[in-house]
Amino acid sequence: MERVILAMQDPNVGIKMRNQRLLITVIPHAMTGNDIVEWLIQRFSITEEEALHLGNLIVKYGYIYPLKDAKTLVLKADESPYRFQVMKSPTISNLITAIYLAKKNIRKQGDLIDYERDAYNLLHKRINHTWDFVVMQAREQLRASKQRRKADRIVLDCQEQAYWLVNRPPPGAFDVLERGPERGNCLNSRVQMRGPSVAYIFNNETFAFSGSFFKHCEQYQVHDPIMSGCLPSNPWITDDTMYWTMNADLVATPTKMRVERWAFSFMELIRDPLGHNEFVHFLEKEFSAENLSFWEACEDVRYGEYSKIPEKLENIYQQFLVPGASKWVNIDSKTMDRTLQGIKAPHRYVMDDAQMHIYFLMKKDSYPRYLKSDLYKNMLAKAIVPQETKKSVFPFMRRQRHSSPSPALTAHSGEDDGKSKSAGSPGGAVAATITQVEE
Amino acid sequence: MGKEECRALLEALNKVAACYRHLVVTIGGTSDSQNLREELKKTRKKAQDLAVANRNKLTVFLKDKTISKDDRVEYERLWVIFTTCMEILEVDMRKALEMGQEFQLNAPKRNLIQTGMSGGTTGVAARAMSAQNMKYEADSNIDVVDLKDLENEINQVGEMMMEMEMKVNVPNWTVEAKQDPGAELQSTISVGASSVGMISLNEQNKSVCDITRLLAGIIFTAVLIIAVVLAVLVIQLS
Repeated sequence: MERVILAMQDPNVGIKMRNQRLLITVIPHAMTGNDIVEWLIQRFSITEEEALHLGNLIVKYGYIYPLKDAKTLVLKADESPYRFQVMKSPTISNLITAIYLAKKNIRKQGDLIDYERDAYNLLHKRINHTWDFVVMQAREQLRASKQRRKADRIVLDCQEQAYWLVNRPPPGAFDVLERGPERGNCLNSRVQMRGPSVAYIFNNETFAFSGSFFKHCEQYQVHDPIMSGCLPSNPWITDDTMYWTMNADLVATPTKMRVERWAFSFMELIRDPLGHNEFVHFLEKEFSAENLSFWEACEDVRYGEYSKIPEKLENIYQQFLVPGASKWVNIDSKTMDRTLQGIKAPHRYVMDDAQMHIYFLMKKDSYPRYLKSDLYKNMLAKAIVPQETKKSVFPFMRRQRHSSPSPALTAHSGEDDGKSKSAGSPGGAVAATITQVEE
Repeated sequence: MGKEECRALLEALNKVAACYRHLVVTIGGTSDSQNLREELKKTRKKAQDLAVANRNKLTVFLKDKTISKDDRVEYERLWVIFTTCMEILEVDMRKALEMGQEFQLNAPKRNLIQTGMSGGTTGVAARAMSAQNMKYEADSNIDVVDLKDLENEINQVGEMMMEMEMKVNVPNWTVEAKQDPGAELQSTISVGASSVGMISLNEQNKSVCDITRLLAGIIFTAVLIIAVVLAVLVIQLS
């Protein structure tokens, strides 16, 4: 789509731009609906109906927005004016929505539309802790925009309104960016990777993704047995199974690398069986072990057998949600009401809201405390760094840093010692097995 | 008083963040230019300096165990506002990086979107820098050169926020906002630079602007006097 948009703006073959007149101010770069449809017909040799449909899609996705009757995103093939929009990636968080609504509130002197008012009140409850900031920022943004010319201010307002119509459509309107019944609502949105399937001009999804991917690679590089060799030795090369026995699921003294990995992310900690047990010990000390059991029960419902869902839900209800239950979890009343309603019509995703709430509670609160706790620090001190298995040195062999050469390193060493390397590696394996047999 | 200083610093940071956001919105449209990129760079630097100042001040007060409970509640509220402001800044910086990489100004095929904006953003930048006039002194390919710095700075901000989250233990749910919904409608919006943020920052000299104002005033009064004199003469003659 972006090529079409670029072509539309080309000064030679694109659409002829007109000026929009509003009382005194004149704003350039407007075009009528008729222009758009005719240009599409002429450029792609399609029928008028098809051109109208295509134009409609372009407007619905937000590349162009209407200037009159701005609340409905529809292309009308007549004299109504339209303008281009700079497309940005929708990393919209609750915070940004709240600031926009506060600004609108100020501008309209409290006269918001009903669904906007509902959203405003809901956000006030959700991000109450930072509401002062929302108000401050809304005021300042309005003051900053007053520094520009009147024409530009009008353009900016229209742009903003169109942007929000596309990305947060009013209830009941056609939502171009609609997603399935998955968790779409992340309260923590530092790097949000939402984006519609239509490729944007700026490939911002790939940028956001590649940024976090790069960070992940950097962090895990030392821990990856292929990239940085593994201690004591790679069992596939040296036939020494120490590596597997040391990293078994429930070993008494784990390796240092493993314990360090627990600090990388919360998921890493709970997916590792040993880490999971340690975390449960910690939670028991803090009297919040029911959170983790609740989360696991919900995961079980989500990924388990369909026929068992009603009975699993009943168990969860009896164990965790009934007031006065033995393992009562602390969820806020709104989520609790919604969950209880949902249990009456059970399906796989009924516990999603509550599960997400508890997950973030653990991740933001218990997890950092665990990392600062004595339990974790003792584990870190107790963890061992395994020794490399020794090899006998043959006179013709190049000494390797680890007894299990990583293919990434051997690939790097270049062609000049390619011959000695290829002679060395099978020789090294032979030498290691000889030492094994001797021991 | 510690609280007033912290609040003033925070308001200054808030103002700069709002101006930065405004500038970022303009990238890629028809009022994009090398000047805009330079403004972005300067505003960003200012925001970072303010952020570091804020963080240092607030951590001093939060680490102090001898302050009263009310004070502590207030400082925690300010801390939460500060962290949210930094989140917004980080998001805006990332957006600026993406857009900057897409819309390179010196590329042979300039493909700025025709958004209909034709004015400049000097007013916004001047507001951010608390200066009367903006001086542009960078060379002509700052848009490309600046992107590397921007990337580094984004990483720095990310690290700073991680560090802050780990070291300072202020749980979000204990902080309550002071304002109710609809509080923003109460105070009127005043146009003009806020003088609050100028406590610890250098002021640019405003003498140039004052002189022009003075001159305009003098000319106006002179014209008024001439008009009155002419009217009196006309009445006398007739």
